[in-house]
Amino acid sequence: MTAADRPLAAAPIIELDHVARWYGNVVAVNDISFNLGPGVTGLLGPNGAGKTTLLHMLAGFLAPSAGDVRVLGRRPHLDPAVYRQIGLVPEREAVYPFMTGLEYVRFNARLQGLPDVDEAARRAIVQVDLVESQDRAIGTYSKGMRQRVKVAGALVHDPQVLLLDEPFNGMDPRQRLAMMDLLCQMADAGKTILFSSHILEEVERVGSEILVIVAGRLAASGDYRAIRALMTDRPHTVTIRSSDNRRLATALMAEPSVFAVELGELSLSVRTAHLSAFRRLIAGASRDAGVSLLEVAPADESLESVFEYLVRR
Amino acid sequence: MTALPHSTSVSLIPHIALVTVRQLLGRRRALLLLLLSAVPVLIAVLYRLAGAEKVDGFAGGVLEVLCLNLILPIMAVLFGTAAFGAEIEDGTIVYLMAKPVARWALVTAKLLAAIGLTAVLAVGSVVIASAIAIVPLGERGLQATEVYGTAMLVGAVCYVALFVALSLFTRRALLLGFGYVLIWEGALSNLLPGIANLSIRQYSMGVGQLFYDLAPERARLEPATAIPLAAILVVVATLLATRRLMRLELSGSGD
Amino acid sequence: MTTNGRAAGAPAGSIYDLGYRHYEGERHGRMYATWALYAESLRGIWGLGRSASAKAAPFILLGLYSFFAVMQLAFSSFIGQAIQSGEDVGELFAYDTYFSQWFLFVVLFCIAQAPELVCRDQRYSVLPLYFTRSLHRFDYVLAKLGALASALFILLMVPMIALFVGDVLMERDTLKAIGDEWPKALPTLPACMLAAASLAATSLAVCSFSPRRAYAAISLGAYILIYEAVAGIIWGMGNDAGWAWADKPQLFGPLTSLMGATYWFFGKVPNQDYGFPPTLGAEAYVLSALTLMTLFAVTLLLRYRRLAA
Repeated sequence: MTAADRPLAAAPIIELDHVARWYGNVVAVNDISFNLGPGVTGLLGPNGAGKTTLLHMLAGFLAPSAGDVRVLGRRPHLDPAVYRQIGLVPEREAVYPFMTGLEYVRFNARLQGLPDVDEAARRAIVQVDLVESQDRAIGTYSKGMRQRVKVAGALVHDPQVLLLDEPFNGMDPRQRLAMMDLLCQMADAGKTILFSSHILEEVERVGSEILVIVAGRLAASGDYRAIRALMTDRPHTVTIRSSDNRRLATALMAEPSVFAVELGELSLSVRTAHLSAFRRLIAGASRDAGVSLLEVAPADESLESVFEYLVRR
Repeated sequence: MTALPHSTSVSLIPHIALVTVRQLLGRRRALLLLLLSAVPVLIAVLYRLAGAEKVDGFAGGVLEVLCLNLILPIMAVLFGTAAFGAEIEDGTIVYLMAKPVARWALVTAKLLAAIGLTAVLAVGSVVIASAIAIVPLGERGLQATEVYGTAMLVGAVCYVALFVALSLFTRRALLLGFGYVLIWEGALSNLLPGIANLSIRQYSMGVGQLFYDLAPERARLEPATAIPLAAILVVVATLLATRRLMRLELSGSGD
Repeated sequence: MTTNGRAAGAPAGSIYDLGYRHYEGERHGRMYATWALYAESLRGIWGLGRSASAKAAPFILLGLYSFFAVMQLAFSSFIGQAIQSGEDVGELFAYDTYFSQWFLFVVLFCIAQAPELVCRDQRYSVLPLYFTRSLHRFDYVLAKLGALASALFILLMVPMIALFVGDVLMERDTLKAIGDEWPKALPTLPACMLAAASLAATSLAVCSFSPRRAYAAISLGAYILIYEAVAGIIWGMGNDAGWAWADKPQLFGPLTSLMGATYWFFGKVPNQDYGFPPTLGAEAYVLSALTLMTLFAVTLLLRYRRLAA
C-alpha cells in the first residue's frame, strides 16, 4: 500500500519501508510501509491482524523478516540507546506488584539514566493524576490505575515517541477521557504517538489519523474521513431536512449521481456514489426546485462504517 | 541519542538486583526455601541427639549427599530459572528491556540477585548444621565445615549461572537442570570419570580441597583445575545469556 | 450480517436467524466426559496431538529408562551363548531390581509431566469450564489420576517387556523359554501397576497445590529426592545409635516403599542384600505403598473439592 505521507517539515519520526514479519509459514505482517510524524495516530485492526507484532517491531523487540524499521532514523532492534526516546506501554497488565506507584516510576526514571530521578517521577505522576495513590503498592491498584502508572513510567524520560498497545483496556469512561486528554496534550507538545485499539470510538475521539491493518496488510492510512471519501464503490448516505422533502426528493431522483432516495417522516435519506459531486449539486437542485435546505448531514461518516468496509473488503 | 555510559549501567546494577531479590522472595518461594534450608539443620540436631561422633560420616552422608548434591541444586534451579523465567513467562520482561540499560548489566544484576540468595541460604544452612553437629567435635569438624561451606559457595555461583543462561534458551530449563544434576553429575559421572571436568559438583569439591585434601574418589579435581574451570563456566554462561537477552524476541500474545 | 435499519419511529426488536443450529442429538453423560478427559490427558502426557517439542521430554525419558533393558535384549544372543558356555556374565538386569536401579528416569518423567496435567488448568482458570458440565470434581480427579497412572504403567512396562523378550531369546528353545519365563515375569504386572498408581497419586497431589509449573515441579522433585535421602541418613544414624524407629522413614518413602513392594510380589525379602533395613518384612512395604497411594489420592480429591472454580 502506498505510504501515508504527510507534509513534514523534518524527517519522519517513524518510518516503515516494506516491512514484513513471518513465523515459518504464518505471515504476521505483510509488506507494510508508512511514515509517521508528530501527532496521534491510531492503529486499528481486528484481533490477530498484527497490531502487537507491528508495535513490538517498532519497539525493537522483534526484527523484521524483511524491510526496514526506523525510529528517529535508527533501527530499534538490538539498539538499547533508542529507548531514551521511546516510551512503551505494553498490553500486559502485570507490573511489579510489590512496588508503590512512586517507587515504580522512580525505578523507571533511574533506569533511563535521568539526572534528577525524584523530579522527573513527580512530574510524571502528576501528569497521569496518580498523586493520591502514589504511596500504595501497585498490587492494590485498580486496572485503570495500573494502566496510568505504566504510562507514567513510559513518560518519565520525556520521550519523543510513545507506543501504546491497547491503552484504554479496562478503563472506565472517565479514566478513558482523562487518558485521551493526556494523549492529545502530548501530541500538541510535538510528540509522536501511536496507539493500537480495536475500539473505534476511542480512536475517533483522540485524533483522525489512522492506520488500518487487516490480516497483516495495511488496508488504509490517513484521515479517516478522507478514507471514507475514497471508498467510492460504497454509496454515501446523506440525511437532508428541507422545507419540502417530497419535492426535493423528486428533483434529486433526476440527478445521475443519486441512485436512491428514501423519504422518512422528518428527513430525506439520499444515497449517492459521488459525495463531492452531490455536494456541488445539492444547492443548485434545491434552489431550482424551490425548496430551502434546513440541514444536510452525512450519515455514515463514522469510523465504524469505514472500518467495517475495510475489514470486509 | 547515545547509549547509557558504562558507568551508569554499572551503577544501576544494584538497583535492578534489589528489585530482583524482592521478586524472587515471593511468599511461596520463601516458604519452600525455608523448608529446604531447615532440613540439614534438623538432621544436625538429630545427629547430636544420636550421640554420633564421626565427622566423616556426617560430612560424607549429610553435607555431601544431602546438601551439596541435592539441596543446593534444587535451590539453584529455583532461583536460577526464576530470575528471568518468571518475567519472560508473563511478559513483564518488556519493562526491563525497553530501557537504555546495557544488556550485560541486566544479566549481571539478575545473576547477582539469584547467586546472592542461593549462596546465603545454601552456605548458611551448611554452616549452621555443621556448627550443631560436627564443629564441637574438634579440628576435623571445622575443616569439614570449611570444605563444604566453600563447595556450597562455588556450587551456588556455578549452578545459578548455568541455570540463568539455560532459562533464556529454553522453556524446559527446569527439567534440563534436574536432568543435568541427577543424570550427568549423578549417574553418569560414576560410569565415566572424564565427566569430572564438566561437572559443577566436581568443581565445587575441587575448590573445597583448598582447605583439606580429600580422597580422589570424593573429589576428582584439584583446586588448580577446578577454579579456572568454574570461572570459565561462569564467564561463558554470562556471555551467552547477555547475547541471548539482546536477541530475545517477544512476539506478544494473540494479536 | 444484516445492516442496521435506520427506520425511525416505534422501538422494535427483531431476532435474525443467522443460521445457527441447535444441537438436538444425543448427549453423552458423565462417563463419556470422564473417559474423554482421561484419553485427552493421556495423549497430552505423551505429547500426541501437540507440537514436536512436547513429545521430546516423555519419549526421551522413556528411551533412557528402557535403554538398558533394550541393550540387554539387543545382545541377548551373545549373552545367551556366554551363559551356555559357562562364562560369568555378571549381574543381568532383572524384573525385580530394574526399577531400583533406574528409578531416576521415572522420577524425571513425573517431574516433567505431572505439572502439565494439573497446573495448566488452574493457572488459566479453566476449571469452571470443566465443572459446569456433566463432569464432577471427583471425575476430573479420577480421569487425571488414571491418565498419569496409565502413562507411568506404560513407562514401567516397556523395559519389562524388553527384558522378557531378551530372556526368551537367550534360550535356544523359544517355546519352552516362553513357558519358563512367563511365570517369572508375571509378578511384574501387579508390581508395575502399584508403582504407577502410587507415583501418580503422589505426583498429582504435590503438584496440584501450585498453579505455577515451576513451583510444582520443584516441590515434587524436592519431596521425592530429599525424603529418600533423609530417610537413608536417618537409618544410617539411627542404626548406630540404636533407635528403634530409624527404619520406619524408609517404609514411607515414595520410592523405597515401591521398591520393597516389588520384592514382595516376587516373593523376595527386602533385606540388606538389597540395601534395605533388615527388620521389616516385605508385606509392610506393600501396605505402606497402598497407604501412601490412598493418602495422596484423598489429598488430591480434597484439594480439588476446595479449589474455587
